[in-house]
Amino acid sequence: MVNNRKKVSDVFAALADPTRRRILESLARRGERRVTALARPFRISLPAISRHLHVLERARLIQRRRQGRIHFIRTRAAGLKEAQKWLMRCALEWDSRFDAIDVLLAEGERKEERDEIRRENQR
Amino acid sequence: MKSAVKISGNQVQITRIFNAPREKVFAAWKTADQVERWSGCKDSTKVEVRMDFRVGGSFTQKLHIRNAGEYTITGTYDEIVEPEKIVYHVNLGPATTQVAIEFIAQGNQTKVILTQVGFPDENLSRIVSEGTMESLDRLDQILCGHAV
Repeated sequence: MVNNRKKVSDVFAALADPTRRRILESLARRGERRVTALARPFRISLPAISRHLHVLERARLIQRRRQGRIHFIRTRAAGLKEAQKWLMRCALEWDSRFDAIDVLLAEGERKEERDEIRRENQR
Repeated sequence: MKSAVKISGNQVQITRIFNAPREKVFAAWKTADQVERWSGCKDSTKVEVRMDFRVGGSFTQKLHIRNAGEYTITGTYDEIVEPEKIVYHVNLGPATTQVAIEFIAQGNQTKVILTQVGFPDENLSRIVSEGTMESLDRLDQILCGHAV
């Protein structure tokens, strides 16, 4: 469970950066590509791209294939599934939200009681 | 677990009785500062809400996820009948889900029936059962954290 949560937070951390989102979009649109070809449209250095790819790899959002010295990168659908599952579960957590609404309503009622007492005291 | 949950096909129905009159329960859904107080989920630390509470109006909820960054979901209100009913749909990225909430007055209490559709059937019951465990954790947190 903890492991699973770690994976999910890696995915969201990876997705939080706009360059990394664009890298993923580019890979999803155009399929597997060499690192150098992938880096070209981005106006940042190859080491910088490398660092981004490393984060995506750790989040298991991409997969690397080596052919001699050439590295090919493609997306890894299973990685995104973790995040999707997290989002769906989050969307369904109504019981805990309703608990929080209960707290909110109780606070509102206590505030009204306090106001009532204050009004009585002023009279 | 104070809510009753019913799953059929790709539909989840959650029923809960609140100890407050209908207008007050409905009010918790009406403004961003109220919604921010209760929305989000177990792994989110904060939610920033922007909302245009009218039919056709849209809303965004920026979830701050623990150790992870932010994720924004967007939605649109499809139906608002104050203080009886709210229907909206949300784009989660991987799926779109529609939520209908009915507020039924029962004396000084309010029965809320929330119906959510739009998830792939095969995953739904599994996700819900896992989610229930997490909700129980969260309930403990709320009871400890907000003890009065």
